[in-house]
Amino acid sequence: METELLRKLPLKQHVKNIKKILKLVYKLDSKYFKVTVLVQMMSAVQPYLALILSAYVLDGLSEGKDFSQLMTVVSISLITILLIHYLRYAMNEWMNARWQNTLRMYGCITQIRILDLDFSRIDSPEMKEIQDRIRSDNQWGPGLNGIYWHLNNLVLQCFRLVGAIILAAPVAGYMVEGGHYEILAVFGVLVIIIAVGQHIVALCRKKVHYHQFSTIREEEKEERYCFSWEFANNEAFAYQYGKDIRIYHSYDLLKRWTTEVFGHSAFRRRILDMSKGWAGEFGFSGMLSSAASGGAYLMVALVALGGTVTVGSVLQLAGALSGLFSALYEIVNAVSGLAQTARQQMSTLEFLELEDEMYKGKLPMEKRSDGQYQVEFRNVSFKYPGTENWALKDFSLKLTVGEKLAIVGMNGSGKTTMIKLLCRLYDPQEGEILLNGVDIRKFKQDEYCRLFSVVFQDYTLFPFPLGENVAVSEEYEMGKVEQCLEDADFGERLRNLEKGVNTYLYKDYDDNGVEISGGEAQKIAIARAVYKDAPFILLDEPTAALDPLAEYEIYTNFDRIAGEKTAIYISHRLSSCRFCEKIAVFHEGRLLQLGSHEELVADKSGKYYEMWAAQAQYYREKGIEGLALD
Amino acid sequence: MEATNKEFIPKHYSILSDILFYVRFLGREEPVVLVFSVMQILLGALAPLLGIWLPKLTLDMVEQGVTLTRVVTVLGGFVLLMMVFSGLSGAVHGGKYMLYNIQRDNMMGILFLKSLRIKYEDAEAGENKKIYGKACYSLRAGESRALNGMVSNSVDLFVNVLSFALYSTVIGTLSWWILGVLIVLSLMDYALYMSLIRRQEAFRDEDALGWKHLFCVRGSMMNPGGAKDVKIFGMKHWLLKRLNVALKELEVVQEKYRRNGMFHFSIVRLLSTFRDLGAYAWLLYQAVQGELSAGDFVLYFGAITGFSEFVTGIMWSVANLRGAANDTDYIRAYLELPEEDRIGGTRHIEELVKPLSIEFRDVSFAYKYWENDGAEGVDGNQDGKSVFRHFNLCIHPGEKVALVGVNGAGKTTLVKLLCGLYDPDEGQILINGIDRNEFPREELYKLFSVIFQETMILPFTVGENISLARWERVDEQKTWSCLEKAGLGEIFREKGIGVRSYLTRQMMDKRVELSGGQNQKLMLARALYKDAPVLVLDEPTAALDPIAESQVYDSYRKHTEGKTALFISHRLASTRFSDRIVLLEDGRILEMGSHEELMGADGPYARMFAVQSSYYAEGQEDSEKTG
Repeated sequence: METELLRKLPLKQHVKNIKKILKLVYKLDSKYFKVTVLVQMMSAVQPYLALILSAYVLDGLSEGKDFSQLMTVVSISLITILLIHYLRYAMNEWMNARWQNTLRMYGCITQIRILDLDFSRIDSPEMKEIQDRIRSDNQWGPGLNGIYWHLNNLVLQCFRLVGAIILAAPVAGYMVEGGHYEILAVFGVLVIIIAVGQHIVALCRKKVHYHQFSTIREEEKEERYCFSWEFANNEAFAYQYGKDIRIYHSYDLLKRWTTEVFGHSAFRRRILDMSKGWAGEFGFSGMLSSAASGGAYLMVALVALGGTVTVGSVLQLAGALSGLFSALYEIVNAVSGLAQTARQQMSTLEFLELEDEMYKGKLPMEKRSDGQYQVEFRNVSFKYPGTENWALKDFSLKLTVGEKLAIVGMNGSGKTTMIKLLCRLYDPQEGEILLNGVDIRKFKQDEYCRLFSVVFQDYTLFPFPLGENVAVSEEYEMGKVEQCLEDADFGERLRNLEKGVNTYLYKDYDDNGVEISGGEAQKIAIARAVYKDAPFILLDEPTAALDPLAEYEIYTNFDRIAGEKTAIYISHRLSSCRFCEKIAVFHEGRLLQLGSHEELVADKSGKYYEMWAAQAQYYREKGIEGLALD
Repeated sequence: MEATNKEFIPKHYSILSDILFYVRFLGREEPVVLVFSVMQILLGALAPLLGIWLPKLTLDMVEQGVTLTRVVTVLGGFVLLMMVFSGLSGAVHGGKYMLYNIQRDNMMGILFLKSLRIKYEDAEAGENKKIYGKACYSLRAGESRALNGMVSNSVDLFVNVLSFALYSTVIGTLSWWILGVLIVLSLMDYALYMSLIRRQEAFRDEDALGWKHLFCVRGSMMNPGGAKDVKIFGMKHWLLKRLNVALKELEVVQEKYRRNGMFHFSIVRLLSTFRDLGAYAWLLYQAVQGELSAGDFVLYFGAITGFSEFVTGIMWSVANLRGAANDTDYIRAYLELPEEDRIGGTRHIEELVKPLSIEFRDVSFAYKYWENDGAEGVDGNQDGKSVFRHFNLCIHPGEKVALVGVNGAGKTTLVKLLCGLYDPDEGQILINGIDRNEFPREELYKLFSVIFQETMILPFTVGENISLARWERVDEQKTWSCLEKAGLGEIFREKGIGVRSYLTRQMMDKRVELSGGQNQKLMLARALYKDAPVLVLDEPTAALDPIAESQVYDSYRKHTEGKTALFISHRLASTRFSDRIVLLEDGRILEMGSHEELMGADGPYARMFAVQSSYYAEGQEDSEKTG
């Protein structure tokens, strides 16, 4: 129930947090701090100048100064104020632009970090945990922008405080030396009001924070999750499943979890409670600011009763005193705001400090033009981080150079896992994978990766130009890209594209981009693999939505492109891989059978035969009658 | 509504009409917000007036030299009044925020439910889909858009208008022509602001585009599915380059904003300095003549300098309201769409004798909305041309029909026509010889159990997922028996999964995750629970391994007894237990007949079958030889 953000932190930790986040801001933009001090100083001075001016004018009037004399001073002062304003404005704009850049950079900082992390890290439960934490920490509040607000405000209020103390000093003299203890008493009452008020504001804020940052109780989860994310916030849901919902009359069920949740629910009680918190916070803050300015006038009026104070001084002293009070509580606000903002960013910083866990080899990869790379899995066992079951168990397999290997097996038998291990997206917990006799962990990882062209089952294309997608770079050889697309059977579509390889894919980035079908996307993914021209080619079960003929075509076409390279093909349609010399049958993380189709199908007790028979029964002229009528 | 590339613009309502729309909406859903808003308007207008009255009051008392008690009671009372005002004003402001902010989700829920009640064809694609998207986007987009923007800016507008009136009255007591001059100055301010807003609006699209690009690149960088490709293909440098391009783009737009604003704000400030100078001159002149006390001097000076703030406030709130009202037009347009239950007559499906016969008589159908977005769920054939032209097909009572053909032949479209999700442009669809439009659409749906390609698993319990009814109406026993029939009973018992177990991982920490094959069986259980007279399966086996696929075929055969059934598959294997096979190509029936007939005819079906079965046939021979 209690999350990290609600725990009470020792002061030392708060200081540490603030230091850490400021250090990061400093790293992103070192000039920012210097300028902000100047800007805030000017911001603080400006109103005091205007205050002094009006005081001077009022006194001048009562002293009987003439019109032109007063107007000269007024004109000079107003123009000075205007100039200060312009200067401050220009500097502030400059500073703000820099800050906006910093903010945008910071917004991408975790994504940049991800690019360098090991895949095994990216895909791990800890990663998900920390990303969830970052999300929930930033769900409320201004994010890094809070640093900007609170830091600027803190500096500003410090200057205001100094100015106020200087201007209001005569009041202190009058109170203490003049023995006017009734004024001191009013002062004391005001300070107490402000302190108590601030405390109440803090309590209200805490109440709000409680609802913002406490974890959701199980019984609330359903209602909260359903209406806010899965349905109402997800338009795609309506298109995707609108047909099921209509046919199965599930409108009522969905109504139960969308609009009905609003009327009476634990969630609503939270919202009401939170609203009360906010009402308290804003209400008491408003009262405090009125108390500060009103109290200041009251005090000064009492001072003036003694008769020694001019009208102008009344105005000036009141302005200074109210500045003093408000600066005091604003400083408290800024400091607590700074601490709160900083602690909400700690999970992000923690993310940036994540360390890689894979062993980083240093061995350079030997470049072989003959493609003589031989891979061997030796007693490899592997389970995915955070899971119980072995995805691969005691798995051994030797790939000969230039071989075409098909991998078949049921869903979850470890086919894709083997590919992932081969590309070193993960390291196995037991056993080793050897390349030309050397453990692959010893190689430099990025160089090792260059050996593989892979079309994953869930490959991803990016919403950037087609050519860049194939070459994975913003600069590329146009001719080579076109050739690869041609090889991948995308040539005809390419010629129909007005902007050719400069056409953006999808509409996410460019509204003039083209939407591509699953089959076309796959061809582009294949072109990408071809462009890479790596010695190993791996094709992992293309989208199952293709009809069998199309799938077979893709496989054979790919095999033609692969030429003499070592290639691995995965499919659960046995027929797709029939051109491969060798077939490996995976089952529950083990290599069950290995051999040619003829050899495997001969073994009637084998898994391969079982799968083959399951598909073949419908095509066999005899077998069907017995099944057709039960 | 022809397919065009023109941007759809919904019916335009005035700002006032949109405000009333929300007043009605909030009055129904959360009346407190309205009460708080009115309070905030009144308090918000009065509070600043008290602020400028305070110095006047103080100075007047000092000049008159009143007694201590009088100072304490009058000023003290005034301060308390101020505290009450600003305290209340703050409280209603803070208190109402969450209450209306959360109504965005409610509104999105209402739109979502609406999307389920309009005609499916309209919901699925075309303009309405865009309207829905825009409406939801604007509700999500932030404080200045749609509902939030309307509420906060209407309140601001009324506060500023009221304050404007109050300050005008104060200044009017001094001199009417000063008020006139101020209004003229304000109008100049107004003109300046309007031109600024207009120019800023020109950048708004650029800015939005820049953000879209940045989000897009960021999304690409953190796409969990893409991380593998990023690693293997070494995409880091490419993506970083892309990121820099997007960041630079935003920097440039922002710089434009800044330059544009700089000129403007400098001029406005210059104007206000002149105004202050003028105010001083006029007030000093009056004071020197002895016509103005120090207190009045301060009061009027405060009123004159504060005056322009309200004018600025009015302008910004109107500008923001215009944007938010525009968003609201989309919301209202969507909510006003006609609902599906208006289709169809009043006959009852109970009168139909089962098993049912279905006839497509001279049916023509074309997609109204063609979107070149390869939308899944819409069939491959979506290039705006007609999918079916004068199409005829009769499915006899209790017949099992297999529909085969390559991707894009129109199979899924046919299913959607069949069960009433689409309406034919021409011709009729008859059930037991009765035009189906004689039944209300909701009744009609009761006739069909359909298993579509994508499996819809809701984050609810197993029971709710099978029955698709709210928990109170779930028949637990029936649910279990359907699970058993679908072949899930054993595995569920083994894993301790019950009717009350939650499905999908988002919902509960202790959740159930099913494999692809089990999900398919769950869909079958859902279809069985509904127990409709017509069962339709649309390519349910594509993602399954051979064993699971075979199991699905088996249970399908078992459970279509006594029902009319339609089965779609790429794989011709499924046709072997169907009474009749319909081979579809480009919306036409190419061949039709039993497997044996078609094999005998040696046409396209026989050729397709030969290609697909060759592998297994060879294997069969091999195995027979070796075995």
